[in-house]
Amino acid sequence: MNQDLMRHLAEILPQIQGFIYPNEVEIHWGMLIVVYPYITGVVAGAFILASLVKVFNVKEVQPLYRLSLLTALAYLLVAPMALVSHLGHPGRFYEILLTPQTSSAMAMFGFVYAWYLMAVLLLEIWFVHRTDMIAWAEEKTGVMRFVYRALALFSRDTSARGVEFDHKALKTITIIGIPSAFLLHGYVGFIFGSIKANPWWSSVLIPIVFLFSAIVSGIALVILFYMVITPLAGGKINMKCVDKAVDFLFYAVIVDFSLEVVEFIHRVYQSEEEIKILSEMLMSKLFMSLIVIQVMLGMILPLAIISVTKIFRHRFSLNEDLRKMLYFISVLLIQFGIFATRWNVVIGGQMFSKSFRGLTTYKMEFGGLEGLLFALALLMLPVVILAILLKVLPPWKEMLAEGKDGDGRAVGGELPAPGA
Amino acid sequence: MVKFPEKMPDSLARLLVVFVVLTAVLAIAWVMIPTPMKSVHVQWDNAILREKAKPMRYAGAHACEECHGEIYGKKKAGYHRDLSCETCHGPAKTHTEDPDKTKPAIPATRSFCVQCHAYNPSRPRGFPQINPQGHNPLKPCAGCHNPHDPKPPTTPKECSACHGEIARTKAVSHHVQLECTTCHQAPQQHKITPRGVKPTKPQNREFCGKCHAKDTRETREKLAKSAPKIDMAEHGEKYVCWQCHYPHSPEVEN
Ligand code: HEC
Ligand code: HEC
Ligand code: HEC
Ligand code: HEC
Ligand code: HEC
Ligand code: HEC
Ligand code: HEC
Ligand code: HEC
Repeated sequence: MNQDLMRHLAEILPQIQGFIYPNEVEIHWGMLIVVYPYITGVVAGAFILASLVKVFNVKEVQPLYRLSLLTALAYLLVAPMALVSHLGHPGRFYEILLTPQTSSAMAMFGFVYAWYLMAVLLLEIWFVHRTDMIAWAEEKTGVMRFVYRALALFSRDTSARGVEFDHKALKTITIIGIPSAFLLHGYVGFIFGSIKANPWWSSVLIPIVFLFSAIVSGIALVILFYMVITPLAGGKINMKCVDKAVDFLFYAVIVDFSLEVVEFIHRVYQSEEEIKILSEMLMSKLFMSLIVIQVMLGMILPLAIISVTKIFRHRFSLNEDLRKMLYFISVLLIQFGIFATRWNVVIGGQMFSKSFRGLTTYKMEFGGLEGLLFALALLMLPVVILAILLKVLPPWKEMLAEGKDGDGRAVGGELPAPGA
Repeated sequence: MVKFPEKMPDSLARLLVVFVVLTAVLAIAWVMIPTPMKSVHVQWDNAILREKAKPMRYAGAHACEECHGEIYGKKKAGYHRDLSCETCHGPAKTHTEDPDKTKPAIPATRSFCVQCHAYNPSRPRGFPQINPQGHNPLKPCAGCHNPHDPKPPTTPKECSACHGEIARTKAVSHHVQLECTTCHQAPQQHKITPRGVKPTKPQNREFCGKCHAKDTRETREKLAKSAPKIDMAEHGEKYVCWQCHYPHSPEVEN
């Protein structure tokens, strides 16, 4: 054993409770693996929100459509970074591409990811923005003109037939996209749920719980972005849209919450041999992050707040500012709650010994590839990418037009313009 | 500008071009990558070589028998039979090769034994544990317990000195009030040569029935009154009671 390792162990060992196996002392899936499901969750959730507009024709949330697609893209681009950095040699990521594995569930991520990025998200964004990009190319000069040209793949077809085709393509892609988004995040849940040696993870419900928490986090984040960006861009928040989106968020949180409760009851009722150590972990190591943050602050409190705005709808309908503030607090809380969910799954699953007799501790590093700083950077990166995307593919017309679509027509008319 | 077939929408045609180009690039890349880079076997082989190159440090559980036969034999019969010599003495491969040049460490401090024997609620119920502050403090453990054949230094009065696990289990069970000797007749000699002279064990259902049968007439055992009663004819059919109830910790799961 080398000196560094010894010193590291000497720090952790006093915090261990009870008996654990030697290879469980240190937690290997750290902060980055917490960030990873959080980020993919946002992708899946944001996409589901977008599909509300396209497939289910929920006209009220139209202003969120493009924003949610761009959010999904920005987060999707960052998702693999967390994984690749965690593997320790980010510079060798291309080797994953060169040696595709078909027998490992972990390696399947590459395929799921590529499918989702190439076949769903990029395609949809391209079709949505195609005609716009042609128009922007006309307005701009110099480099940007070329950039838009190239982004539009040098297409200049703005004929009715072309636009018509865009619509059809969009609908098809979104319909393919919903199962794909489910696949993307269901897959992340599957990775955990299929580890049969770990009773905290091993559950067929996990993929579904992941999925719904993904939907929750995605919708909440897009609402958050919308409420922050719109005033910054000089627009006025469209409360009809936010109300509706919060509606969906509300239902998603309820489903998510009940699924988790079902999981919990199922576990308690089954009372398999791990139940003692799990409950001990819950009451000690995970008390703050699970009971306080995830359940109380991340679910029950936002549910309560939103319910209040619903129950006293009349009173609140008069005061938009108050409603805005309440929504804002709720979506923010939900973000923290979902992040805590990921934390509890990933870190919690490694905190108890598989001998069911002891608990270890997670000691987060500050610097370094696995550290807090890097994780925060990864969490901020999508926001930066989103800012760039918003510059290149501005959704303002749609976001800022109150109750109108991109062309200024009242929403709810016949066929909306592509991407409107 | 390229003219695409009339029927196909312009946008689809352009995407197809992108798709074809991408697939072509991937295909070419795939062909050009040398096989060793694609095959995982190379990595496996390397891992094996890397592991093989590491120096061997442990001699194994039986390597010491050859020269330390006496200690080996002693340990084999004692409570530490499941520990390997190198668990305590550390890696000793070099010592077995040239005993005079290197000598293994001798862990003679109290803090060493306490790693396994200090009281810790998460250890298996019944594992021999002591409270290091209270258990003959300051004296080295080896002064009283031979590490190669650990046992209490004097003939214990209590069964619990050797059957600590059972005694501790029973102490938190419904049978806490029952003496060991209620169910086992243990000759004094058993405490001196335990493996040579063995106590009795209950043999049949009727033994437990003394206290638990519905219609028991037992008078000598004063606990018989308070024991919960069952119908011997029906309860548990023909099996002996301890096929279902562990006698040292009878539990009833409802
Ligand atoms: C080839 C014969 C041989 C083998 C095999 C061997 N030893 Fe020894 N060992 C010796 C001799 C010789 C001594 C020195 C005896 C003396 O000084 O009285 C010794 C001494 C020791 C001592 C006492 C050291 C000291 O400082 O007094 C320990 C402990 C020990 N051996 C442990 C082991 C262990 C553990 C193994 C098995 C991994 C082992 N030996 C295998 C020959 C052997
Ligand atoms: C539970 C830990 C433990 C195990 C297992 C153990 N030893 Fe020891 N051994 C000790 C301790 C402690 C001492 C020092 C005793 C003393 O100070 O009187 C010692 C002393 C020795 C000595 C030198 C003193 C003597 O008594 O001759 C030899 C040789 C030795 N052990 C060999 C072995 C061999 C061979 C084995 C395996 C068969 C073995 N030991 C297993 C703890 C252990
Ligand atoms: C690697 C762990 C380990 C170390 C170190 C260790 N022991 Fe043990 N000890 C055990 C095990 C295992 C048993 C057998 C327990 C059983 O039979 O259930 C045992 C049994 C005993 C017993 C018998 C207790 C009884 O039931 O009557 C004594 C006494 C004892 N050890 C003393 C020592 C002493 C003294 C040392 C230090 C030289 C020591 N042990 C070091 C693991 C260890
Ligand atoms: C002064 C002699 C003495 C010393 C020193 C001593 N013990 Fe003991 N030990 C005993 C006696 C006597 C018993 C028998 C049980 C009793 O009466 O407490 C015993 C019992 C034990 C048991 C069995 C406990 C059980 O419930 O089965 C273990 C384990 C043990 N000792 C370990 C140690 C360890 C480890 C050390 C050193 C830290 C140590 N002993 C030091 C005298 C000693
Ligand atoms: C000096 C230590 C020691 C003491 C004291 C001791 N025993 Fe034992 N006992 C043993 C050992 C060693 C065995 C054999 C265990 C084995 O072979 O696995 C044993 C075996 C037994 C068995 C099982 C016999 C069998 O056929 O399987 C019973 C029952 C038993 N003891 C009861 C008692 C009772 C009751 C007392 C107290 C009156 C007692 N023992 C005191 C060491 C002791
Ligand atoms: C209620 C009666 C009862 C009492 C009290 C009781 N035993 Fe037993 N014991 C049994 C029976 C019955 C068996 C046989 C179990 C079997 O064969 O599976 C047994 C088996 C054993 C064995 C053999 C090993 C084993 O676990 O099967 C030992 C050793 C033993 N008893 C020791 C003790 C000691 C020491 C005490 C006191 C602390 C004690 N018993 C108290 C009923 C009892
Ligand atoms: C000396 C009388 C006596 C003998 C012999 C005896 N028991 Fe008991 N047993 C009791 C008493 C007294 C209780 C109730 C203790 C209490 O109040 O919790 C009891 C409780 C039980 C219970 C109920 C535990 C519960 O959860 O309520 C079971 C099961 C049991 N004994 C099984 C056995 C078996 C099996 C045997 C034969 C190996 C046996 N007993 C021999 C006195 C005895
Ligand atoms: C086939 C398994 C089996 C066997 C054999 C068996 N029991 Fe039970 N026993 C049970 C179960 C299961 C319960 C709890 C359910 C119940 O109350 O019927 C129980 C309950 C008991 C209770 C507690 C009753 C109460 O009212 O709290 C006692 C006492 C008891 N058994 C004693 C015995 C005795 C004595 C024997 C041997 C003559 C025996 N058992 C054999 C399975 C068994």
